[in-house]
Amino acid sequence: MAAEDIERLGRLIAALPPAPAGWVAAAQELPRLRREFDALIARAEADEEFRSRLLGELESTLAEAGIEPTRRVVAEARDRLRSF
Amino acid sequence: MGAATSDAGLAARCRGGDEAAWAELVERFSRYVYAICVQGFRLSPHDAEDAFQDVFAKAYVQLGTLRDDNALRPWLAQLTRRVCIDRIRSSARETPIEELEPDGVDDTLEILDEALAVREALARVGEPCGELLDRFFARDESYRTIGEQLGLPAGTIASRLSRCLEKLRREMEDSAPAVRPEDR
Repeated sequence: MAAEDIERLGRLIAALPPAPAGWVAAAQELPRLRREFDALIARAEADEEFRSRLLGELESTLAEAGIEPTRRVVAEARDRLRSF
Repeated sequence: MGAATSDAGLAARCRGGDEAAWAELVERFSRYVYAICVQGFRLSPHDAEDAFQDVFAKAYVQLGTLRDDNALRPWLAQLTRRVCIDRIRSSARETPIEELEPDGVDDTLEILDEALAVREALARVGEPCGELLDRFFARDESYRTIGEQLGLPAGTIASRLSRCLEKLRREMEDSAPAVRPEDR
């Protein structure tokens, strides 16, 4: 194989290094996260006490519901809770 | 890396609510989206992470608007481009849109498209070549690390890499569209 072919193929493989594993995992978890958010919102709509707790102690309530309250998750939750 | 579902098949399965297909879609395009953010638009790690997550969040919600499932890759590229521009714009409000894109972004995207085609060929070549070439070139691992991880003598890595590159080159030649005489 010509040296320039090897070099070019190597450069092209190197052009796509892996994204950080945590970023990929978070993106892959989107459907589950949305499902859990939906359930949380539905519960908040039906249960006034839970709604107050969710609005007042968002991060700990998310954690209790099994949702890791990362910066992005909390921001999205706040966004979804704006309707309350 | 194994036999892969087509992009169109993957898009259709995702729209049908198949979460395994979504995970595969993210896996398939994560490097591409990441590279556009970091190499094409030179976003900082913090902005790149936000842009990366925004792209997939928007893709998840908007996949239903994709008119041609075969156009999944360019659709994602365009989505990533828009998200990156929005991110840059948010920190440079007065700058005209055409000045927000870094110089050479089109050239970088062209290279990344070609790199993605090489990656697809790499998946078709299969293991152990896929992992070996990925570890050496994309993950920048040393012969020693690769040898330890894959249980191979470090002294054999160079020759294996060379054989795998040759295999990859043949795969790319075989899959390249044939040039018909009337096209010349």
